[in-house]
Amino acid sequence: MEKELKYEWNLSYRIEHWVRVLAIAVLVLTGFYIHSPFMGGGPESYTMAWMNFFHTLSAYALLLGLIVRIYMAFNSSFDRDWQDFGLIRNLKAAPEMLGYYLFLKSSYERARKYDALQAIAYPFIGIVIIFQVMTGAALYKGRLFGFINSSESFRWVSTMLGGESYTRIWHYLAMWVVIIFAGVHIYFSLLRTVTFRDKTFTSMFNGYKLKRKTS
Amino acid sequence: MGEKHLVSEQFLDALEFRGLSRRDFLKFCGATSALLGLSELYTPQVASAIEKASKRPPVVWLNFASDSGCTESLIKATYPNAADLVLDILSIDYNETIMAAAGKQAEEVLAKSLKDGRYILIIEGGVPTKKGHGMIAGKEMIDILKDFSGPAAAIIAVGSCATFGGVPSANPNPSQIVGVSEALKKTGVNKAVINLDLCPVNVEYLVGVVVNYLLLGSLPELDSFGRPKMFYGRIIHDNCERRAHFDAGRFVEQFGSKEETMGYCLYKMGCKGPMTSSECPKVRYNDKINWCIGAGAPCIGCAEQGWPDKFARFYERLPGVKIPGFGGIETTADKIGAVAAAATAAGIAIHAVASASSGRTKDKEKEEGK
Ligand code: SF4
Ligand code: SF4
Repeated sequence: MEKELKYEWNLSYRIEHWVRVLAIAVLVLTGFYIHSPFMGGGPESYTMAWMNFFHTLSAYALLLGLIVRIYMAFNSSFDRDWQDFGLIRNLKAAPEMLGYYLFLKSSYERARKYDALQAIAYPFIGIVIIFQVMTGAALYKGRLFGFINSSESFRWVSTMLGGESYTRIWHYLAMWVVIIFAGVHIYFSLLRTVTFRDKTFTSMFNGYKLKRKTS
Repeated sequence: MGEKHLVSEQFLDALEFRGLSRRDFLKFCGATSALLGLSELYTPQVASAIEKASKRPPVVWLNFASDSGCTESLIKATYPNAADLVLDILSIDYNETIMAAAGKQAEEVLAKSLKDGRYILIIEGGVPTKKGHGMIAGKEMIDILKDFSGPAAAIIAVGSCATFGGVPSANPNPSQIVGVSEALKKTGVNKAVINLDLCPVNVEYLVGVVVNYLLLGSLPELDSFGRPKMFYGRIIHDNCERRAHFDAGRFVEQFGSKEETMGYCLYKMGCKGPMTSSECPKVRYNDKINWCIGAGAPCIGCAEQGWPDKFARFYERLPGVKIPGFGGIETTADKIGAVAAAATAAGIAIHAVASASSGRTKDKEKEEGK
């Protein structure tokens, strides 16, 4: 089977990915602090104020990054990949892939770019991000983008979740979903790299992945 | 002074006779205009509105399911306080708890007000919606509410019981108590209710709304919970005197600690200030003597809908989580997160070992799957 190095991720895809990684890392760290402040501030410090500031800042980055990513899926000059995420097709292909990873099957059908479980997980995480943005906006007491009165405009979110305390709980638990996703995501990229020797892991740094020759 | 044209000497004399100096009265009018977001220049207008009020827009104060704490907050002042007197002047025609008349006499006053109409209806207490659970003189509270809300010029629900049910509506709520606006919806009366949510109501808010009504003849602008924006437009946290400690990250970790004596922020002691909108830090209670956080207690969120159930526990930041299907096991969000993460980590570790021992990672022929 002939293989070739394929340019899988162009610069904009990679930048978008790493901006999200950074945003999530900052959000999780500052979020933990806001949830339960784990260091005390001294007489001249602004610990909580900075945590809040960077939390909000990264939230904007995460939201705008997602919007850019969705735009790219439909209108990228490099790779419009929105068709890869068809839910029904991927759900049909998922059991086989799951079977492979549970050692019940020896192989599974590989997709063009995202295998079934990936193509299900990524949009799901997109939804989780939207959920985080909405619950975050409901908890935020300032003006979004400088002019949307967020707590009034997003009060319906809190009402739906049963009050602001519960919005906080959901916001916190959804963060764990993101953390767990990140862990599994990194594990799978490493596992694939080791199993298939296709340079999955480094492809998000330099863009190149080893793939079957198509033509 | 300008106000001379607007307030009569006679009225000021009458106030003086009742123990309120004209100086204090004007000071109070100034404070009220500030509270209403008006400039100092409006003080004379406020004073004159109050004087005009002494010519009686009748107030009917009805008590439903509550502990009369709001009435207490209204009348319990250590010395004749201005807000108190003004509400006196407003001629509360009927208030079961504090009126001198009783029995038939009282009922007559009430019947007369009802007939005359155009009164300000103030309601204290939640409304039981279960039949037979809340009756006055053999009449269901909800029916009394219905009868009185029709001819009222304005309806003001005071305190958290009347606004959204409050303490009497707390779980398990056997009498199915709801707030006034909810009860009115049930009876099919379509009327705006001004919700002065707090436990107990802050008298200055009440006076503010009433004076605002007398001045402008209109009701204040309300937020999505029916609370006047002028009193519920900002969260406690944004006006709190301990905010500097919050921003700095200086928190009380335990009551009775050194941090507590230093007046550090009460966030970690369960303070609900960041999610509660009210002007408590500025208006304060009992003639501005103090307020919850000033007295060292975390805000418990009594100005919000869903209080107290959705704000319990008062000394913890987040409520416990009931896991459905596990016999009502209650846990914390932290535990759920930690357990899920640990399970994932364990899953990954097991899978990694299994992958390695299955030989998948070694078999180069298997590259690319199929
Ligand atoms: S005590 Fe409460 S309201 Fe005040 S700064 Fe701390 S968290 Fe905010
Ligand atoms: S500070 Fe909080 S608990 Fe105290 S009266 Fe105001 S809203 Fe209620």
